[in-house]
Amino acid sequence: MSWKMWSLKKSPWVFHVNAGACNNCDIEIVNLLTPKFDVERFGIKLVGSPRHADALLVTGVGTRQAVVRLREVYRQIPKPCVVFCIGACACGTGIFEGGYHVAGPIDKIIKEVDPNAIIAYVPGCPPKPEAMISGVVKALSAI
Amino acid sequence: MNQQELIDKLTEIKDKLTDIQQPLDDRIFLLCEVENAYAVNKFLFEDVPLRFVIATGIDAEHCFEVLYHYAYDQLGFVITLKAFIHDRENPVIESIAPFLPAAEWIEREIHDLLGIDFKNHPDMRRLILSDDWPEGVYPLRKKMAGEIAKQWPCETSVCPTTESPARRTVQLSKPILAVGPFHPLQEEMEFFQLSVDGEIVTDIDMRISYNHRGIEGISETLQFDQVPFLVSRVCGICSASHPLAYVQAVEDMAGVTPPERALYVRVIINEFERIHSHLLWVGLAGHFIGYDTVFMWAWKYREPVLDLLEEITGNRNNYGNVKVGGCREDIPDETVPKILQEIDKLEKKIEMLTKAVLDDPIIHARLKGVGVLSKEDAIKYAVAGPTARGSGIDIDVRRDDTYAAYADLDWKVITQPEGDVFAKAVVRLLEVLEAVKIIRQAVKKLPKGPIAVEVKEIPPGEGCGRAEAPRGETFHYVRSDGGNRPVRHKIRAPSYVNVPSFRASCIGEHISDVTITLAAVDPCYSCTERLAIVDGRGSILHGYEELHRLSCEKTAQLKKEIGPPEWKLEDS
Repeated sequence: MSWKMWSLKKSPWVFHVNAGACNNCDIEIVNLLTPKFDVERFGIKLVGSPRHADALLVTGVGTRQAVVRLREVYRQIPKPCVVFCIGACACGTGIFEGGYHVAGPIDKIIKEVDPNAIIAYVPGCPPKPEAMISGVVKALSAI
Repeated sequence: MNQQELIDKLTEIKDKLTDIQQPLDDRIFLLCEVENAYAVNKFLFEDVPLRFVIATGIDAEHCFEVLYHYAYDQLGFVITLKAFIHDRENPVIESIAPFLPAAEWIEREIHDLLGIDFKNHPDMRRLILSDDWPEGVYPLRKKMAGEIAKQWPCETSVCPTTESPARRTVQLSKPILAVGPFHPLQEEMEFFQLSVDGEIVTDIDMRISYNHRGIEGISETLQFDQVPFLVSRVCGICSASHPLAYVQAVEDMAGVTPPERALYVRVIINEFERIHSHLLWVGLAGHFIGYDTVFMWAWKYREPVLDLLEEITGNRNNYGNVKVGGCREDIPDETVPKILQEIDKLEKKIEMLTKAVLDDPIIHARLKGVGVLSKEDAIKYAVAGPTARGSGIDIDVRRDDTYAAYADLDWKVITQPEGDVFAKAVVRLLEVLEAVKIIRQAVKKLPKGPIAVEVKEIPPGEGCGRAEAPRGETFHYVRSDGGNRPVRHKIRAPSYVNVPSFRASCIGEHISDVTITLAAVDPCYSCTERLAIVDGRGSILHGYEELHRLSCEKTAQLKKEIGPPEWKLEDS
């Protein structure tokens, strides 16, 4: 394992992108920081800039207006990084499938920028905070 | 004005109308031709006067229809003006935005989605569709679906429509502060451009579309019974009120009365939603002014509410519990004592939190007199919910156009006259306590019996459903042609009218007060179905983090001036 991968697994800092979600997954992500779940215990921290992040938490279907900006955010994040598709919409556009303003799913959009991107999926509508923690643990132990 | 007087008043303008219909006691439809629409709208808004709710554009077979929905809150009436545009090639209607700013966004939206032109509109830029959306393609026109698929993919990185020429010349002469679209502290994307003069905000502009998923379009492809699952995902936090408003619209149309137990279950779920949504707001508001303790506390107390909701409905959010004719899941009898026990605990904690927040001298100094939305502006922008009640407008759909079981329960509407951020905080916190009261009564009174009736067919017709979401009135308009899908489904979420009121509340404020003023309406951009981006023009003075830092610094400064509080808080 390269030192880059090794360091990626320690205290992952995450940047959160809403690419057209119903706000539910986003609230549950913020919930992770509050006293009941408190992921900062594990060194997981929400950061304010993609340039400081190790992982990208993407929620939502990827609307036509958001995808251009999502690609830009992905370009800015230092590699290697892990992209987490949080929720049914991000994993496969969910209930919004076929909408005229939907350009997702997220993995398709990210792979257009970087075909070798590391993508992890946390399904659920919304996934419970426990599921998100478990998803992060699984993804980090797989790489 | 009583019912007869209202109808008499409406008949004053009879010569401009082609018909008046009253399908239900409290639903009136006025029909007119396109050239009279402006005059009738002006009469309805200024002379009656009615509160503007939303407009709906419809592609009917031979013509376009623009429906203007108004509410008369004293009686709980919904009055809809239907204007018919027969010229399909070149549909034009006079804009009502010059005297009714609340209609500005919706007219832009109808222009985007249906291609109807609004004459004399002050600011006809693209609102809801993406920057790269092809010109001349209107997604809600019935025959456009194939064409849209053909046009994708197309992509540009410029934003030609974010600024109108008129506004741009004003902005170029002054520094612009750009907020958004991805910023670290808010969960959703939004983009504001603030023109500033020194520390003072002089103008504000918003670009949305980022979160537009085309729910109204998708809804027309689903069956009546599937739509509640879709509309509960309009907004995750209002995931009980949206389906409820939709279901009530369809029940109106089909003439279905759900059993009494279902009405009580609906009340309980909706009030739990209100509690968790308001606590969420209190937490975020605390965070914005640099009080992370409030943030952590409020969200900690919110968790038991989500756990209860999970126990009742099976999910922490997106309950999917309401259906046409009743509810899907019952509240089991053995859960009732647990609910009562939990809300007793919750009430004590919330009382403590309310006292802590509302008695804090620093919060007083920080929020009082900030971001004032005057009553006149609140009427002009037709705001809803706590934003309106914080400005002294006494409206609440739960009481005015009563639904579910609210009429049987004892509770009161909270209003505050000041219109500042503090007033909105007071309204929300006291509403949480009212919600606890409502749940306690509803759980104790929960009648026995079935929770749903069977509904076979939805007849042709149209219905308007309303529900009081945590952020204000949610309005759904549904039209059926007798088939198994809605032919048009219009959704108006409360943030859609609350967000444009920033133009009234932010201008003249200090930059350091802007974050909390913007947060004060509890904006929900997924509800509004849109969000925003920096277009790179204009000099960017601060990022959002900088703005948040300014806000926190102001609080710290005040804290130093005022000194430590005399009392100590104890976590009970």
